[in-house]
Order: sequence, then C-alpha cells, then structure tokens
Amino acid sequence: MKYAKVYFEDVEVGGEMPTLVKGPIEQIQLTRYAGASGDFNPIHQDAAFAKAAGMGDVFGHGMLSMGFVAQSLTDWLGAGTVAKVGVRFAGLVRLGDVITCRGKIVAKRPAKEPGRGAGQVDLELWAENQKGEKVVTGRATASLLSRGDD
Amino acid sequence: MPIQINTSIKGKEYTPYVVRVERAKIKDFARAVGDLNPFYLDDEVGRASPWGDIIAPPTFAITFRDERNDTASFLKELGTDISRILHGEQEFEHWKPIRPGDTLLCRGKVTDIYEKSGRSGPMAFVVRETTITDADNDVVAKVRGITVIRL
Repeated sequence: MKYAKVYFEDVEVGGEMPTLVKGPIEQIQLTRYAGASGDFNPIHQDAAFAKAAGMGDVFGHGMLSMGFVAQSLTDWLGAGTVAKVGVRFAGLVRLGDVITCRGKIVAKRPAKEPGRGAGQVDLELWAENQKGEKVVTGRATASLLSRGDD
Repeated sequence: MPIQINTSIKGKEYTPYVVRVERAKIKDFARAVGDLNPFYLDDEVGRASPWGDIIAPPTFAITFRDERNDTASFLKELGTDISRILHGEQEFEHWKPIRPGDTLLCRGKVTDIYEKSGRSGPMAFVVRETTITDADNDVVAKVRGITVIRL
C-alpha cells in the first residue's frame, strides 16, 4: 500500500499545509495520553496539584501538542515521511482549548543520501489556540518520493 | 530563595538501556493522540506497506524510558522535583522506522545545563539527547529535549 500522499514534484516553497484542528482538549485525553506515554506528572491530571505548583490549573502535556503537530504533517505528506521534527512549547494548552496546527514549506532540495526519497522539504510549523495564541512553534524536514517511485 | 541545580551532571552519560517495541503500545499511543493513521493502527495496511508492518508515529520514542532510572530519580539527582518542571523544547530525528518487535538500545546524555531569566523568573534549562540504535547498530533515531526548571 502506498504511504505517500504528496510527491516531491507536487510541492513548492511557500506552499501551505492543510490545517488540522484538534480538541476541545478534555481531561480524559490528558489521562489517556499519560497512560500511553508513561508521563504521569500530576500537573496534567490533578487541579489541586497544578494550583499548588503555581500553574493555576491542569494543562496539556507538551508532547500531546507535539503529537498533534506531527499528525498535521503526516496527514498531509504521509506516514513515515518525517525525517526530523522539532518544536518549542510556547504556551500552555488548557482544558477546553481548540488547537489548530498550521505550516508551510520553506525549502526544497533533492535528496543527498539514500533512503530519503527523491528529495526533502523543510517546513515551518506552528499550533495556535482558539484565541490565535501560538502554543507550539517548530520546524520539520520530510522526505518525499517522486511520483511513480512507489 | 531560588533552588540550586546540580550542574555537575552536565556531560553525564547514562547506562544504556534496551527497549522492546510492543505493537499494542504503538497503537495506544496513536489513539491517545487521536491520530488514527492506518499505517500506525492497521496490521494489514502495515504488512502491505514498504516497511512490512505498522510503524510508530514520529513522537513515539518519547515513551522509551529506563525503568532503573526514572524521571523522579533524574529530578532528584538534579536537585528539583516534578512540580517545578516544564517542557521547553523537543526534537526527533529519524533514520529508520520503529516497528513492533524492534529491540532498540537507548543511550542518554545530558548535553548542556544553563540558567537564564524568563518572564516568570529565573529558570534552568537541562538539555538531554538520546541516541537510539537497532540490532544492526544503525542509528534509528535521535531524541533531543529541553526540560525547564522554575528555580
């Protein structure tokens, strides 16, 4: 089965990634992510703990938001295309927040090493909440096949 | 009074640990993110893929942990506790897909520790890197993370 959804010749610098909207964030998702990731920091589960730690209330795992950003990439380009993804956690995600992942292509070049498809693209990525505040900013590199190579 | 961080662990390399990748963990992780990509969840789609099995999502390696050296003991070694930490940055670099049944070796290192003042006061930044290799000693992935400690 073909995994590529977008091919190297289909994308250009400046091209925008389709947006991915996630949420509203519910406590149950944070609990489920804790179980799946092994990150049981009570700051994401226990409002009293989060308040005592000076954070006001529980907030989402940064890694859950990064998971959304990674999904936005693979939903567009295909699973297994991500060579590199790096983010900075710029703001807290609170219960009820709706997170919109966005991105655009900032560079494109033929592959320099084997196993990296026909070529690679660099993307600027970010995720924002319903108020337009950035909660994640980052960059990624994806390896894309040429049409007919799969 | 701000707390003092034990900066002497800068450069410290941890005892490598082995992780065996479990099929159900990949699927639970993808579902917890709400990422229902069939290449992560559907065994038949995986079998028919170029990788011969389902693969892990790009951030799955965050689940790799050394049971003998958990987060609590790392924070204690640093001189802090879980109520003071925030996740600053995170990066994954991939060379090979991660599949069910893979036995991977993880080598972790504290690459840097520095302090600076942010909006909410003095903070320490602890940079860690884990290199993940497979049975052929090929690098599968590198994972870099920055933990922020509110001092």
